[in-house]
Amino acid sequence: MSRACWSVAAVVAAAAAVTYALRALPFAVAALRRRALPAGAERFGELLAPAMLAALVVYSFGALEWRTPWPYLALAATVALQLLARSPLASIAAGTALYMALVACAGCAAPPPLEYDGAHPLLAITGRGIRFGGEYVTPAQAVERLESRGIPKDATIHILLEDGYDDRRAPWVFQHNYLGKAGYRRTILVRPRRSESCAVGRDAAAPRRELQRRAPGDGR
Amino acid sequence: MQNGSPESSPLGRVERRAVFRRALLDSLPVLAGYGTMGFAAGVLMAKAGGVDAPVFWAGVSALLTFSGTLSFAVVPLVARAAAGTDGCAALACAAAALAATVNFRYAFYGVSLLPRWRAASWRRRLLLIHTLSDEVYALDVACRYARAEARLAYCSRLGVLCIGYWTAGVTAGAAAGAAAGAALPVPARGIEFAMTALFAAILCDRLRAMSPRRRKGDAR
Repeated sequence: MSRACWSVAAVVAAAAAVTYALRALPFAVAALRRRALPAGAERFGELLAPAMLAALVVYSFGALEWRTPWPYLALAATVALQLLARSPLASIAAGTALYMALVACAGCAAPPPLEYDGAHPLLAITGRGIRFGGEYVTPAQAVERLESRGIPKDATIHILLEDGYDDRRAPWVFQHNYLGKAGYRRTILVRPRRSESCAVGRDAAAPRRELQRRAPGDGR
Repeated sequence: MQNGSPESSPLGRVERRAVFRRALLDSLPVLAGYGTMGFAAGVLMAKAGGVDAPVFWAGVSALLTFSGTLSFAVVPLVARAAAGTDGCAALACAAAALAATVNFRYAFYGVSLLPRWRAASWRRRLLLIHTLSDEVYALDVACRYARAEARLAYCSRLGVLCIGYWTAGVTAGAAAGAAAGAALPVPARGIEFAMTALFAAILCDRLRAMSPRRRKGDAR
């Protein structure tokens, strides 16, 4: 066995041993005491169960989309059904189905959450003009949309330059006279990833240079 | 080798089968949750690993650790172990510390299960301790068999079923992650709610059982 293999085995073994020890701890303590637990301890254990369950409900929200109202609605439905029908399997199935439906519907109806980083630029400049999402807009409209979608002024705005677009002037004017004046001071021009064969030949250093160009007043 | 309280009158075959059916039915929401979460954890492990045999290690760690959060949290450590640059002992200590912080809550489950598992033989108790996870705990607490033997049989079958679901999910995920190069789609968005619904439904039942009006007549 290689050294790496031993290391992986050590990690797995340590994690497993500690987890087992934690699970066994109360039983080990009880066995070592060799006396009956005081009545208070059992009562404590009884009361601990609903408290742990409530904590688990809250804890499991971490895996859900808890910033949306959907898990709360589905939880209310599950609880209501459980109180009425007292059939856990039915209420779990119904609640889960409701949640999945709500999440799926919300995904279709509402616009997808805005991601704006280098991989998901909000704005693009092409030969036809400025594109916000799927449509072409004027520079003023672009700023208006950024503001109406609640993009904070200190966010870094990535502007995608279409492959082959090499006018330097228009992006500069957009950055400074529109975005900069509106308060968006952190803007970065990005070019599409040149991962395909067609992109290898021309000026391979360009994207990096563009990435480092920032608006004045950026402070860095 | 038996400790003080061996299990009196073992269950008959018909009873055992009924208990197993009950455990299988009750564990269906867990199958939904563990199947998908385990799959995701397996994919993650196969992707981040660089381990020689990701499917083997993912399966082994799922079976030995049986802890959802830890499976996700330990992935970076496994990746470092696979790189083979860090010392075995340091990695094992890091894994132990991680397991202790992530799984500290397991120590509390035992406290509330002490009276319920008192009648279990030590062998069965070792198994029950190993399969004690959030979901198994919740279902154990919800189990309302009046006879201790039936309850313990139910709990251990449930534990074995759940660890089986988890291990199968993780192994399948690791196999898929190792086979497919690109990102895998999430199998069913929102299915994680089954875990929340399970905890909530059991909490409802538990609170109802604790209220003084309903103390009697809950034994199944």
